[in-house]
Amino acid sequence: MSGPGLKNATIAAGAVMVLSVVALAVDYAVMRGWTPASDAQIAALQEKVQRDAKLAPVLAAEQKRIAEFNRARRARVNWLSLVLVGAAAGFLGGAKRLLAGQARPPVRVPERGPSAVWPRAGRAVAAQAAAAAPEIDLTFVDGLIEKEGRGAEAAIPILQAIQAHYRYLPDEALRRVCHLTEISPAQIAGTSSFYSRFRRSPVGEHIVRVCHGTACHVAGARQITDELRRELAIAEGEDTDPSRTFTVEEVACLGCCSLAPVLMVDEHTAGKLTPATACDALAAVQPGERA
Amino acid sequence: MSRRRAVLALLAVCVLGCLAENAQGQALHYERPVERAPQEKDIGGGYVTPKVQKPLPRRAWLEILDVALLAAAMGVSVWIVVKRRSRRWLVALTVASVGYFGFYREGCVCPIGSIQNVTVALTDPNYHIPMVVTATFFLPLLVAVFYGRAFCGGVCALGSIQELVLLKPVQVPRRLDQALGLLKYVYLAAAIWYAVLPAAQRDFVICRFDPFVSLFRRSGFAHMLALGAGFLVLGMFVGRPYCRYLCPYGGLLSWFSRLAARGVSITPNKELDCGLCAEACPYGAIEEMRAVRRKCLYCARCYAACPREGPLVKAFVPLGEVR
Ligand code: SF4
Ligand code: SF4
Ligand code: FES
Repeated sequence: MSGPGLKNATIAAGAVMVLSVVALAVDYAVMRGWTPASDAQIAALQEKVQRDAKLAPVLAAEQKRIAEFNRARRARVNWLSLVLVGAAAGFLGGAKRLLAGQARPPVRVPERGPSAVWPRAGRAVAAQAAAAAPEIDLTFVDGLIEKEGRGAEAAIPILQAIQAHYRYLPDEALRRVCHLTEISPAQIAGTSSFYSRFRRSPVGEHIVRVCHGTACHVAGARQITDELRRELAIAEGEDTDPSRTFTVEEVACLGCCSLAPVLMVDEHTAGKLTPATACDALAAVQPGERA
Repeated sequence: MSRRRAVLALLAVCVLGCLAENAQGQALHYERPVERAPQEKDIGGGYVTPKVQKPLPRRAWLEILDVALLAAAMGVSVWIVVKRRSRRWLVALTVASVGYFGFYREGCVCPIGSIQNVTVALTDPNYHIPMVVTATFFLPLLVAVFYGRAFCGGVCALGSIQELVLLKPVQVPRRLDQALGLLKYVYLAAAIWYAVLPAAQRDFVICRFDPFVSLFRRSGFAHMLALGAGFLVLGMFVGRPYCRYLCPYGGLLSWFSRLAARGVSITPNKELDCGLCAEACPYGAIEEMRAVRRKCLYCARCYAACPREGPLVKAFVPLGEVR
């Protein structure tokens, strides 16, 4: 349950709660008003019985009636209070969820359209870069297949070797593998997408690992990554900039949380980053020439 | 360390005192009073003994089960708070305790009221308490020496029901909080005073003015019911008013929990110092980013608010949304 349903249910439970409290209070007031009267009645009857023994059954009946009334009242109070406890539980549970929903107004980050996020690149640049993908020399693939054999079981070693050589799995190379061996395109697609170590797009010259461990996440790793991607004009769904200089990855804790947020460019670590300094950190590997 | 030993020794002496003093109290024997009274045939004249109205006491093994459950619940509370660090589990324990120790056991025996019974038992040779009461009184103190006020976190029925009604806590100003906190020691002193009085003037004030017990029993004096309801309504906005300002046992637990080596520890490794935990603590128990053992009521709210705890955390989702 959520939203208006939850709210209505909470209000209903609150109403039941209030009603049962009122009912209990009224019941109590009635009892208080009623008891002295019946006490007086009993006392009067007892006095009469002292004088006239024939009235004894009347007294007994009256006493029975009062006992009956008290028992009924006890039962009534009992179930009313159970209703009260149930309603209170419902009310509190609902109210807590409602309050939790609005307790901390989410920090609204100003809305930025895609054009603002990718100021320099956008899809056009990415597409252009893709079109300009470097020519691939496939003689390595031919030699590899000679060495590994043409059976379906060679798929993983072949893919590993191709990735080691080109640093990713170029489409042309994969097509050639299908062409020359018994490995089917489906098998290649399945294997290469199953193991996350296999990449289908070219990797940049330098790997930037932005730590998204707990401390770094809290310290704003998200903004660091966003800033890098924006500066490097990496398109959505990609991890490498169009000039294939940097590949930006999100990794788990790098083990220096006290420096959070942290990133590594190849083997160089930079810490205590802010979105303003994140890009300067890339200079560690390539002074002066940033995409 | 040696202070802890001294306190443990003191506790042991008191327990032994209770047990020895009350050797006769330990056997839970019970006779129907009417069996000692004159019988029908002695009275004669067609007298019929009325059905005994007095209910039998709870069976001995059930009472022992209660003590075992108390111990187990405290163990679970410590485990949840120290090891699991989970508010959710603690809420489950709290609900269970309100159900069992509160509504089913009707809030009795509880260590709070037994302060007076134990005091009387230690001072009056003619007054005996059963072992069950001794255990109920001392077990939470023993736990407090090692782990802090685990009893207050989801075991004590009185504390638990207040814990559950808390809706929108306001932070009580520190000074006021400290001043009101002294009330419970006054109450403790008064309770002990009323307990050591000679039998005729003795008054079990803690039990008489226990604000929640008549709610658990769903019957009682109207003014006590109203007082209980009042505390609960107040407790929606001021975290656990009875616990923090009045509960005399809370005063004892505060003293004993000063020695605790373990307990609620906010972000045990490197903290962020963001202060979200202090903001989340409805009982003002976090000072300088550390849970103060003597005030911490083991509610685990600070963990729930901590961005370093567990899977992240609603408060930070907006950052994650910036794509
Ligand atoms: S302070 Fe007293 S009433 Fe509150 S939880 Fe602790 S023992 Fe129970
Ligand atoms: S420090 Fe406060 S919030 Fe944390 S467990 Fe103790 S009482 Fe609860
Ligand atoms: S979380 Fe970033 S270095 Fe550990």
